[in-house]
Amino acid sequence: MKKRFLLLVALVLVAAMLVGCTTETDSVLDKINQAGKVVVGTSADYPPYEYIDEAGNKTGFDIDLMTEIAKRMGVELEWVDMPFDSLVAAVDSGKLDMSISCFNYDEERDKTVDFSEAYYTTEDAFVVTSAFAGTITVPEDAANYKVGVQSGTVQDGWLTDNLVTPGLLPEASLSRYERVDQAALDLANGRIDVLMGDYVPIQALVAQNPDLQVVYHGELSTGPINIVLPDGDAALKAEVDRIIKELQAEGFIDQLAVKYFSE
Amino acid sequence: MDFGQFISYIASGTVYTVGVTLIALPSGLLIGTILALLYVYGGKAAARVMNLYSTVFRGIPPLVLLFILFFAVTRGINLSAFWAGSLSLGIVSSAYQMEIVRGALLSVSGDQLMAARAIGMSRLQSIRYVVLPQAVRLAIPPWSNEAAIVIKDSSLVYALGVPEILRRAQLIGASSQRYLLAYLSAAVIYFLLVFGTTRLLAVLEKKLTIPSNP
Repeated sequence: MKKRFLLLVALVLVAAMLVGCTTETDSVLDKINQAGKVVVGTSADYPPYEYIDEAGNKTGFDIDLMTEIAKRMGVELEWVDMPFDSLVAAVDSGKLDMSISCFNYDEERDKTVDFSEAYYTTEDAFVVTSAFAGTITVPEDAANYKVGVQSGTVQDGWLTDNLVTPGLLPEASLSRYERVDQAALDLANGRIDVLMGDYVPIQALVAQNPDLQVVYHGELSTGPINIVLPDGDAALKAEVDRIIKELQAEGFIDQLAVKYFSE
Repeated sequence: MDFGQFISYIASGTVYTVGVTLIALPSGLLIGTILALLYVYGGKAAARVMNLYSTVFRGIPPLVLLFILFFAVTRGINLSAFWAGSLSLGIVSSAYQMEIVRGALLSVSGDQLMAARAIGMSRLQSIRYVVLPQAVRLAIPPWSNEAAIVIKDSSLVYALGVPEILRRAQLIGASSQRYLLAYLSAAVIYFLLVFGTTRLLAVLEKKLTIPSNP
């Protein structure tokens, strides 16, 4: 009887794997409309793009934007919070219909998922504490110091490609953090000299920590930010792009930027 | 945000931590016990299979198994992050619990099994009425160790976005910039959960002790 139970367990597992192998060919847009809701992933630990407010609800630039997009798609919006690293895999595996979490276009990511039209353009910044005695006039100057960055971000990619790979910045001088605020903590503690990050959240960080200051900002790694969509889903991309253009034309996105990015 | 709100936001993740544990630990025990019985009494072939099972699942980090189950195996089917996480932890734990139960079964002297057979019990009866009751008692101390590990490993489901204690500490830490407080609060909650569980099991162990057979 125990053997039979084991056999049953084995069969269930095999069945689960077989079901898992079937591929979907329908557009996710049909699925969204049928269900009357869109399942969107975000990593709500990146103010001011996405974070939680005092009541524990999600808020931020991306959150407001997605809320409006879902409204215009005529469906309910269901948020799924997930660490940033897991979001692309979750869209790729169909666990999420799309993800909005300050994503930049990235060739590696583009292999497994698609990107919407850019809804906003961002810059990079270098930030230091008041104890910092060096100078950073061009971004490459950062190679002379201990640098911190959020792991897996486009800033991480820029530092790796432009400073580490050419041998300007020793690998040991680059600290990669799971999240940008952990890096800010180490910056304050003096474990790193310079923190590189997205200019908008960096400004928010500086506003909260008077000891920090931005020494350089410009468009290095980043630039346009997009919504991550399932790979090759033309119908869904067309619908999301249409709404983004509509919102840009109406000035809705600029209003959001003023609301979240200016102080 | 006041301190009470801060703590209660993190503490409300306890529901998920306890939920994941209450699925992973008993399912691991059930599977682990069945597999251990097969390992010890099921003959050479079964023992070899069980040995393989134990080696494989104790050799994979729980987080890796979690990602495999959630992102690869269940592609396209609607297995929630909570269940994917609970089941992966249950599978990993079943391998450890199998070893715990196996060790307990083996430490009951084989002579007792023979004696039970001699007075006319069937093989199944001797295992059920002679070996198992003693083995269960022997398994409690190592099992309480495993329970503590599963409670703490339940924090891994944060990687799939289950809003348990650790993920909530991250979120509120990010929005308030009070990281130390957030992670310390999480640490205290985990400690209390583990401490309470191990104390409870220690009481159980004492209660179940057979006076004549310490």
